[in-house]
Amino acid sequence: MSIISHDDGRILFLDGGMGTQLQAKGLQPGEVPELWNISRPADVRAVHEAYFAAGADVVYANTFGANPAKYHGDAPLADVIAAGIALAREAAANAGGRRFVALDVGPTGRLLKPAGDFEFDAAYDAFAEQVRIGAKAGADLVVVETMGDTYELKAAVLAAKENSTLPILATVAFGEDGKLLTGASVECVAALLEGLRVDALGFNCGFGPDRMLPFVKRLAVATSLPIAVKPNAGLPQVNDGRTVFTVGPEEFARDISALAEAGASIVGGCCGTTPAHIAAVHESLEHVRKARSTVPPRTVVTSGSRAVEIPFDDTIIIGERINPTGKKKLRAALTEGDVAYVLREAVAQSEAGAHILDVNVGVPGLDEPSVLDATVQAVQSVTDLPLQIDTSDPRALERALRHYNGKALVNSVNGKEESMAAVLPLVAKYGGAVVALTLDETGIPPTADGRVAIAKKILARGAEYGLKPSDFVVDVLCLAVSADAKSANVILEAMRKVRGELGCRTCLGVSNISFGLPARPLLNAAFYTMALANGLSAGIVNPLAADMTTAFRAFRALTAKDRTCSDWIAAFTDWAPAASGNNHPTAPGTPSPAKAEAEGESAISTAIRHGLKSDAAAAAKTALESGAKPLDVINKSIVPALEIVGKGFESGRVFLPQLLMAAEAAGAAFEVVRSAMPAHDGAAVKGPIVIATVKGDIHDIGKNICRALLENYGFKVIDLGRDVPPEKVLEAARREKARLVGLSALMTTTVCFMEETVKLLHEKLPDCKVTVGGAVLTADYAAKIGADHYSKDAMGLVRYAEQLFQ
Amino acid sequence: MTVDLAEIARYMRMDRSVPDGALAERVAKLRDDALKAIRPAQTWRRFPIAEGAIASGGLRLEICGTLGRHLAGCRAACLACGTIGAEFDAFQRRVSVSSGVDALIVQAIGAALIEKLMDRLEDEIRANLAEGESPVSRYSPGYGDFPLAAQRVVLALLDAPRKVGVSLTDTLLMVPSKSVSAVIGITKG
Repeated sequence: MSIISHDDGRILFLDGGMGTQLQAKGLQPGEVPELWNISRPADVRAVHEAYFAAGADVVYANTFGANPAKYHGDAPLADVIAAGIALAREAAANAGGRRFVALDVGPTGRLLKPAGDFEFDAAYDAFAEQVRIGAKAGADLVVVETMGDTYELKAAVLAAKENSTLPILATVAFGEDGKLLTGASVECVAALLEGLRVDALGFNCGFGPDRMLPFVKRLAVATSLPIAVKPNAGLPQVNDGRTVFTVGPEEFARDISALAEAGASIVGGCCGTTPAHIAAVHESLEHVRKARSTVPPRTVVTSGSRAVEIPFDDTIIIGERINPTGKKKLRAALTEGDVAYVLREAVAQSEAGAHILDVNVGVPGLDEPSVLDATVQAVQSVTDLPLQIDTSDPRALERALRHYNGKALVNSVNGKEESMAAVLPLVAKYGGAVVALTLDETGIPPTADGRVAIAKKILARGAEYGLKPSDFVVDVLCLAVSADAKSANVILEAMRKVRGELGCRTCLGVSNISFGLPARPLLNAAFYTMALANGLSAGIVNPLAADMTTAFRAFRALTAKDRTCSDWIAAFTDWAPAASGNNHPTAPGTPSPAKAEAEGESAISTAIRHGLKSDAAAAAKTALESGAKPLDVINKSIVPALEIVGKGFESGRVFLPQLLMAAEAAGAAFEVVRSAMPAHDGAAVKGPIVIATVKGDIHDIGKNICRALLENYGFKVIDLGRDVPPEKVLEAARREKARLVGLSALMTTTVCFMEETVKLLHEKLPDCKVTVGGAVLTADYAAKIGADHYSKDAMGLVRYAEQLFQ
Repeated sequence: MTVDLAEIARYMRMDRSVPDGALAERVAKLRDDALKAIRPAQTWRRFPIAEGAIASGGLRLEICGTLGRHLAGCRAACLACGTIGAEFDAFQRRVSVSSGVDALIVQAIGAALIEKLMDRLEDEIRANLAEGESPVSRYSPGYGDFPLAAQRVVLALLDAPRKVGVSLTDTLLMVPSKSVSAVIGITKG
């Protein structure tokens, strides 16, 4: 038997609450419980002994908070952990029989980025130290428990894997709504932990065993691993400012039996449970034997909060737009470090219905490992979609995979020995599904059978690393039909064979098919439909292309995937044939007629002043179509309208949200006009202006508002994001030859970093002006820290920029 | 839990005017989305005040300066912490990417929601007081000369990271961002 599962199907018994037992012995709020390992060892040992006597096979050593990020006691951390393990060991020896001691690893008490400011690597280091000390001190297994954030969970499990050879049991604390603090679902946690290859997984804390039941049922169909449960003695109730638990041993044991019935094979208790609870559980389950049925393999990838299945009998969309190949603007944004541009692409694709986003930052000359890592993290901060990490550089892949929050889709491995040797171990180590490209040292086989043979080879090689066919998504490679007339036929045949012969899911970069031909979108959509009909699991397509999403929705409605046609109906309720008879679907939100057109005022101006974005864009289009000169539209309609609103704001008649809405509408009109103008036709973009929220500060609302307003006033803005170190601001300002840098800080505790950044900029780039703003700043203070200008609000910044770039 | 347009407008610094037209529609839509992203959590605990401080488990919260004056005569106080959760922050980051207006509106929605949550928390504390006791209005680190650094002690005494998922950054910001901690004095008579 391994520690974690008995071969004969017996239930494994864990201990009950430690904290509540110590509180009963006098532990005070605010006190460091782990210090009792040194100061009151007999009390700690007595708790372990009582649990062993109650029937526990495993006790958790009193090391829950003993990680260097959280622990702040007087005694050295190593002593505290070693003493904790030793006390549990003594209790195990006294109890006799096969008893085990777990190193208990709880959360750091810090929120990781992007929710907080704690770095993944710092969390990893803290856990790694705890694990190394605990393993050396003689723990039999590592328990990672009470985790509320998948990212921290991943750091802890990786630390346990890489710093010991001990078995790992990982349990998370769900809220009553079946989500972690950061929003992850049961399925999301299951996929992540299976990918990281823990030995058992489950739930602890949160609530009582009765409420855990639906989650255990969900977990039992999401994983084949042993399931552990360690619930509280009911929901915590506050009584006179103290937390109390009210479920007694008998009721607790009865409910735990139901959890075992549902699939749990490792059972114990958390807050509020006592040796009496564990004794009752032990008594009722001691002779129960459970054999879990195995779960059919699925291909699931996750973000920090969402699980997405790459289906065998349905299809999903992988958004292809974050890939600089052939995209000038994205290439420029990546080179300039303009994070905001990339994030907008992510959000737009997500809103358009993508299920997974591809992220590729391959621009020659760019430091791909660091840019991919940073981009993946940034994109994860604004979308809950899982990502497809797309790189051919194994170093970049490893760094991005390690820091990825969740279980990623890896793009890609191919049949070359070099690729398989580099990529497959990384997938096995970090978890993930991987795209298998059917090419090898000999190139891309011209036949379907040739491509299937390579897929087979990759699967076989993957098996050596413990990867299953369900860990692969085969891409049979889309070659242009203009180069090879049979290309589409071969692709479709190969896809059918991959499904039929290998039982694998498929993906495909659909739009390559039309390379070299006119009217590519039309051909792409037609081929996409054919591929879907031949079993494509995941099309790598542009979700902003209406032809493609229409093909996707039509296919699903016509093949009973969208059973009640509800997705189709939701997408096309407002559909109307285009006037020209060209029945292409239009995006929702077609403009309504502009309101109350005042005398002498253009429709554009009215729309802008009322903050009606689509009306403003439509009115600009109409104006151009009826012969207005682009520059006139800008100078006679857009700018004056914005000016009226801006003045209104400055005099207090218009409020900030209205100003921003007007600016957005102006921006939309401006965009329409600009795209109708030949380049460099007098409406060149002003700037660039580099903006950032300073180091230490993660509140970036003010900065975002400034960015929006500046952009809508026609400035080019390079937005470096939040928590930006001074050197990074300098680097961007220097590279972009920026004449203006805007810095924002919200708290008194972060203004010091603002001062540091201002000093650095002035020292290294004396011609660059720096304006500062933020809740705690005043003009006096701005002057004191050496800033050239104080922006009292976003409009103030726009005015200063206008003056500077005149 | 929800908030009305007028409450949200206050946090958009619109004085007493209430959004209408396109702005009102946008606020209502974002409020609906925001309410799906919040996960309110709260915790509080009562402590005696002795020798000008709350002391427990080796930690000490000095009740002095402006806080001391605010709590003058109180022999006990409740420490409290509430949050609308980390998912709200993720929602806010998402909307902020594409629109400054939405960013501003969502920020105001969050501010109105946490304020409401803290009002409820105060009500809960009030309901738990003994006959003749009443709470003093809440006072948070950062008010007056009550130092931000006191957050560390307040959150530790409440076991806030574990109980409600609220923790501090190195620069003493509370995360999730829409979180509030406070001291609520208890007076007799």
